[in-house]
This record gives sequence, structure tokens and C-alpha cells, in this order.
Amino acid sequence: MYTLGVESTAHTFGVGISDNDRIIANERDTLKPAVGGIIPREAALHHFKFAPEILKKALDKSGLKLRDIDLFAFSQGPGIIPALKVGAQFSTFLAKKYGKKLIGVNHCIAHLEIARLYTKLNDPVMLYVSGGNTQIITYYNGMYIIFGETQDIGVGNLIDKIGRRLNMPFPAGPKIEEMARASKHYIEMPYSVKGMDVSFSGIETFVSKLIGKERVEDISFSLQETIFSMLIEASERAMSYCLKDSLVITGGVAANKRINEMGEKMCRERNASFKAIPMQFAGDNGAMIAYTGYLMRDYKQKDLGIKPKFRTDTVEIMYR
Amino acid sequence: MKTLAVGSEAVIYEKDSIIIKRRAKKKYRIKEIDEKLRKSRSKAEFNIMNFLYRNGLNVPKPLKYVDRKKEIRMERIDGTRLAEDFSSYDAKNIGTAVAEMHNLGIIHGDLTTANMIKTDKKLYIIDFGLSFHSLKDEDFASDIFLFKNALKSKHNDLYKEAYSCFLNAYKSKIRKEFKGIDTHLKDIEERRRYNESY
Repeated sequence: MYTLGVESTAHTFGVGISDNDRIIANERDTLKPAVGGIIPREAALHHFKFAPEILKKALDKSGLKLRDIDLFAFSQGPGIIPALKVGAQFSTFLAKKYGKKLIGVNHCIAHLEIARLYTKLNDPVMLYVSGGNTQIITYYNGMYIIFGETQDIGVGNLIDKIGRRLNMPFPAGPKIEEMARASKHYIEMPYSVKGMDVSFSGIETFVSKLIGKERVEDISFSLQETIFSMLIEASERAMSYCLKDSLVITGGVAANKRINEMGEKMCRERNASFKAIPMQFAGDNGAMIAYTGYLMRDYKQKDLGIKPKFRTDTVEIMYR
Repeated sequence: MKTLAVGSEAVIYEKDSIIIKRRAKKKYRIKEIDEKLRKSRSKAEFNIMNFLYRNGLNVPKPLKYVDRKKEIRMERIDGTRLAEDFSSYDAKNIGTAVAEMHNLGIIHGDLTTANMIKTDKKLYIIDFGLSFHSLKDEDFASDIFLFKNALKSKHNDLYKEAYSCFLNAYKSKIRKEFKGIDTHLKDIEERRRYNESY
């Protein structure tokens, strides 16, 4: 069964194609603003502009024609409204035109499913860290439950906000990581783990006040150490609480080497397994939507509109 | 020395009917963060347990804090962990216990059924590693919210019934206008990302 998935929740427009549970194409383009962050309207315009080109690339890669596709899937949310609309319209049009079924997929669950597929870990705790999302998700009692999450802003968002104040280009993650490597001097920062949840807005305020007073390298180092320690601690709590013995880190922030190193060390200390997933499947991509759509192929969905505030723990999982 | 439990944060040992809670070093954190956290959490935990114990709450009797090892020593409680054996009836006792703790101005910070022990007659709250002093409605609400989520994730089948038993018992014991706490409770839920309620 060939499934075509469309991803457009934020600044990435992606099209992926899967042949049952095998990914045969994964193409995308990401909006990179020259200054500032993502402007919703511009993300939508970007997706409109690149949609046909990305679709063609994906089809070429797979050697398929649109009429060969058996099932269409798209990312229903969570995400930015104008950006989501593009993917929804695009995939609805294709499904109608070729008379095929359309499946709406939760973006966060798609991240988890592709991680399970590529790491071969059957039942991991997933630390999902990206610009907008920071969630610790695991399968429990027939649902994907959010064990811990940010109480305010996403961790990537925090990094980008600090980066912008330090005049770093968007996304600021790589630059912060590079700067952090040049320092070993820790500046004490608020450490805010609340049960299994984390909170970042206090750190943002605190770090903003350090800018100009401390070296950028030291700020970057201390920021990374603080926030990643918090996230790994919360992940460990979730693993311990639900008795899970593996961890996967995914999302855009998973590109950071330090957070992976910390996750690996934590898992080694408690005899758990840790696996990194290939970077092309860690960030937002269409392949994960296609694959999750394939898993959900028998679902009967009534609501196929966009869901900008789609929560992970509201989807019934019937395929596990 | 017998190892009783290895938690995510600390290891629990038993020696001559004394429970030792030692916060283990975490290699993934840099030393500066790790030392500071282990020390401040252990010390604060000991002080809060002491305070609650002296005020007659059902908590293990704290005996000693040893800074060198970042460990707390306390008396042993014979009972079962609520996480392993939980019913809605227990939820009522939890509501009473949490309200009494809040009346003394202590926020637990990690209210789950894994952090509660029941004996024949009493219900004990344990693990004050994330606790702090506060009399703010917001903090009371955050404790209730944590417990609600813990019920939802660990005891999903009993969740609705248990939560209402908990809340009723809590309301009748708390020496504060519940309306204020309730407002914050709704606030916290709405503050989370992607909430469909707003």
C-alpha cells in the first residue's frame, strides 16, 4: 500500500511516501527567515510556493505516479494555522481528485511512530523537543500519554529567543551549541523541574539579563547544561515511573549532540537503551505522516479539518 | 545494607529498620549542577519532613541528614505503596492528607500514588524531594493538578471517580476559600500548550 503524507505544521513543508512500513521518499523544504522567527503568513506562502515542487521530487524519488497512491495523509496539528491550512487543502484536493481515502494524523504521534520504526525500540519513552513542542510521551493504558511537558514555551523556542538577543541566525541551536563547546564556566541559572513538567520562561528572563555582562560562550554553555539536565531528569522520571527501559530523543533539538550525550549517559546508568534516530526523520518530515497514516489506514475519521491545538493524549490508538 | 528501591533520583537502602535515602550522583549533569541540586534537595527535604512530623502529619520520622553522602535517614514504615494497590477509598484519605499538608503551608511538588504508603490505619505521604513552603493558591492548585495527572496516567480506569473523591475530601479539610484555588486550577490547565478548551 502506497501512502503519501503531507507535513506543514510549522516552517517545514514535507512530502513523504511509504510502501507499507518502508519509507521510499522523504522530501522537504524549510523556510529560513533572514531575520527574526517564523511569521505565520510567510510560512504559508512558502508552503504554497514549494508544494508542487516537493510533491514532484517525492514522486520522482519513489518512481510512482499520483494515481498509484492508495492513501493520502496529512498533519492535522498541532501547529500554526495558516501553515496547517496549506497541507490540509493540498492533501484534501489530491485525495478527492484521485478518489482515495484521506487520513488526518497527529504530528506528535507521527514523530513517535517514525522513531519506533527506525530505532526498532518497541516501547520507548520519547523526549520530543522542537521549537514549539517539548513533551515526554509514552504509551500507557492504550493511549499516548504526555508524562511531562513544558508549562510555558518550547525548548527550541527558548533557544531561538536567546539566540535572537545574541544576534544569532534562526534557528539558533547550532550556533549556541558551537559557542557552548568553547566554555567550561558554569553560571548558575534557575532550574525548574515541576514534578514531570518543566518550565522555561523564568530561564529566558534570567538569561536575557546576563547578555552583555557575561561571555556569550559561558551563557550558551550554562543554558545548554541547565535546560538539557532538566529535560533528561524529567525523562528519567517518566522512565522510572512507567517502568520503560528505552529512550528516544526526537524533534529539531535532537540535532544537538550534547542532549544526546546526556540521554545516553542517563540510560547507561540505569541499564536502559538509548538510540538516536536519523536526523532526516528527527525534524519535521512528510515520511512520518505517511507512515502514521498507513498505520491508521482503517480509522474512520469524521473531523478532517485542521486542529491547531491538537493534543497528543486525545487520539485513540487502535493499531497497537 | 539492603537496597530497597532505585528511583529516578535517589536510592533507598534499609539498615537496622532505618531507611536511608541517598541521592545518587548523575553523570549526565555537570558537577556544578549535580552537587547543588543533590545538596539543596536533600537538605530541604529533611527540613520539611521534620516540620511536618513535628506538626503531627503522617510522614516517616526523620532522623538525620548526612551532608557528605547527601543522604537522609528516617524511620521505616510497614505498609504498601499506593501505586501497587489503589482504590477510590484511598483517594478520600489522600484528599484529607494533602489538605492538612497544605494547611501547614507545604507544597509536595510530586504527588503521585508511588509517593504514598498505606498501613492498616494510616496513610503516609513520602518523598518530599520537590517540596517547598508556600501559601499561594497557585501552588496549592499546581499540587492538585499534578495529582490529577498522575491519576490519569497511572490509574486511568479509576481516574474520574478517584479524582472526585479526592477533591471532595480536600475541599472539606482545606482552611482556605476553595474558589480561589479552583480558579488557578483551571488557569493551569488552560496555560498548557494546545489546550482545546480555549
